[in-house]
Amino acid sequence: MIAHAIFFYIFSFIAVISAVMVTVSKNTVHSVFFLILDFISISCLFIMIGAEFLGMIMLIVYVGAVAVLFLFVVMMLNVAHQKNTFFKSTHGSRHIPIGLLVSLIIFFELVIVVGGWKYKPDLINSISLEISEVSNTHSIGYVLYTDYIHLFQLSGMILLVAMIGAIILTYRKREGLKRQSYFSQISREKGDGVDLVDVEKNKGVKIDV
Amino acid sequence: MNIDLNLIFPEIFLSLSIMSLLMIGVFKKNSSNLIFNLSILTLFILAALILNLSSVNKILIFNNSYVIDDVANFMKILTAISAIFVLSISTDFLKSLKIYQIEYPILILCSILGMMVMISSNDLIVFYIGLELQSLALYVLAAFNRDNVLSSESGLKYFVLSALSSGLLLYGCSLIYGFTGSTNFNEIANNTNQVPYGLTFGIVFILVGLAFKISAVPFHMWAPDVYQGSPTSVTLFFALVPKIAATCVFIRFLYVPFVNMIEQWQMIIIFISIASMIFGAIAAIGQKNLKRLIAYSSIGHMGYSLAGIATGSSEGAQSTIIYITIYVIMNLALFCCLFMLKRNNEYFENIEDLSGLSKNHPILSLSLLIILFSLAGIPPLAGFFAKFYIFMAVIEQSMFFLAIIGLLSTVVAAFYYLRIIKIIYFDPSKEKYDSNHSLGLRISLIVSTIFLVFYFTYPNSLLGIISKINII
Repeated sequence: MIAHAIFFYIFSFIAVISAVMVTVSKNTVHSVFFLILDFISISCLFIMIGAEFLGMIMLIVYVGAVAVLFLFVVMMLNVAHQKNTFFKSTHGSRHIPIGLLVSLIIFFELVIVVGGWKYKPDLINSISLEISEVSNTHSIGYVLYTDYIHLFQLSGMILLVAMIGAIILTYRKREGLKRQSYFSQISREKGDGVDLVDVEKNKGVKIDV
Repeated sequence: MNIDLNLIFPEIFLSLSIMSLLMIGVFKKNSSNLIFNLSILTLFILAALILNLSSVNKILIFNNSYVIDDVANFMKILTAISAIFVLSISTDFLKSLKIYQIEYPILILCSILGMMVMISSNDLIVFYIGLELQSLALYVLAAFNRDNVLSSESGLKYFVLSALSSGLLLYGCSLIYGFTGSTNFNEIANNTNQVPYGLTFGIVFILVGLAFKISAVPFHMWAPDVYQGSPTSVTLFFALVPKIAATCVFIRFLYVPFVNMIEQWQMIIIFISIASMIFGAIAAIGQKNLKRLIAYSSIGHMGYSLAGIATGSSEGAQSTIIYITIYVIMNLALFCCLFMLKRNNEYFENIEDLSGLSKNHPILSLSLLIILFSLAGIPPLAGFFAKFYIFMAVIEQSMFFLAIIGLLSTVVAAFYYLRIIKIIYFDPSKEKYDSNHSLGLRISLIVSTIFLVFYFTYPNSLLGIISKINII
């Protein structure tokens, strides 16, 4: 019970501190690092209360996709500005220590959670939890396609709207763009491209394009 | 679980037509005209399908999370019909702005689907999903004219502020779920016999989110900028259709899950209502742009419609529904006039452009006169009756303070409406505007103006339908 409380406070502390750091740090790359740390701490909290599915989804979607994409965007945008400091690991770069710190904390968090889960399963036995035989993923699956089918379908509509929106706000039709057309390439024959002419001496051939 | 899918047939029909219209639009070149016409047809069929359902009494489906009743049917029909008008009068405008694209009607249909879900929701999660569906489509519509800086700015502004308010709303939802143990509206009502502080906080957060969506003071900051920046046809959509759905959600939230907590929410609603009425009346005075003026006037009108809900009585809610219906018709007519201020493919939207309109365009200025008098609430036009029902309901609950403030702010608001009329009739005239307007625009203006003028001869046409509506 005490171990549970201690871990809970450790993770919550890290989550809150890193959330604050996301907003106060001046360097956007640092912010994204702290965002990742925040997501991972929260997913550790989810795993501790027995919601392993949510925790893993959080890791995969937020850390694996969203935050990494974010990191790419931020680095791309700041390339011109921070080229000298970021990509050379000479002295004067302050990214390496912070990056190391964040990754060390993440490593220890994962060791704690996975280790506790694997070797001491009774660690999460708090009073408020009912550990049932059915796993999280199963029980979400039971209701998602039956009781909540209308919500599931509507979420699909939301994604469709997001897709339409992203396309119309960013897609620009460019004029005068030459595209490769395989069909016309393949169906081209010798007669279309080659023209045999008799050349008169000292006159040359007039080519009209 | 056995659900009669006929009950949600309108929603299913709308989703299927959205997808098929998208397919037609993508694979057929230059099909904007076709898609616009098909969307209007879809909305007609949708209204007919909902009308067909209206004989059904209150039915709860999907584990009581989705409700089909009289309020929902009436509001959905109103949404569909106003969207028909919106689409049919905005085609010329979109063509002149070169944004006459297939995605425009499809996004409008998507947001209408979201509104229908919001209107019918009987569960916090269903409500939130519907809200997100409609507002996601609205963000894109606001930024639709993406080459225009103002339009992009308004889209971004609306997106950021609306996401913030959605966050607050979700926080409120989670507090309410935590303190009542359910997301279902009826269950929440059953579990709120004693009210802990956390629950009050939850209500406050939800009301903040909802007040943002209908742009009531003090959460109105986005409205003038977004109304001015978006293309006028999108402003028209913003000013009419989402307000219907949001008002319905307001009524449903306060009369179903929070019905036992009237002491907690009544003061909040009264405050929001009074603040919106006063602010809408005073801030509109100095405006020079007609779209900004409409934004402030709609803030004021939202204040009046909230006054009806603030009574907590069934008559109050009915008067709010009448108010929002007449508000939609008045604003539709006003925007029709705005679309007629066109010269050489350029649209005018400043108040000074109206100067001396009566010399060259007597019919247009006469209808503007009727519309503005109606907005100011001068008898015997429809706008007067809308306010009359609201104040009747308010006085019946002996909330005299609210009624007095409301009447005083009506007088203040009348000033800026009358100022526009003075500019139209007594100021020096300007160049003539074009008079070759599309048929849809003419018909919309004529129908809505005739409704405003002749409403008093047969008020039962609307009153009769709405008084039959059972709110709870």
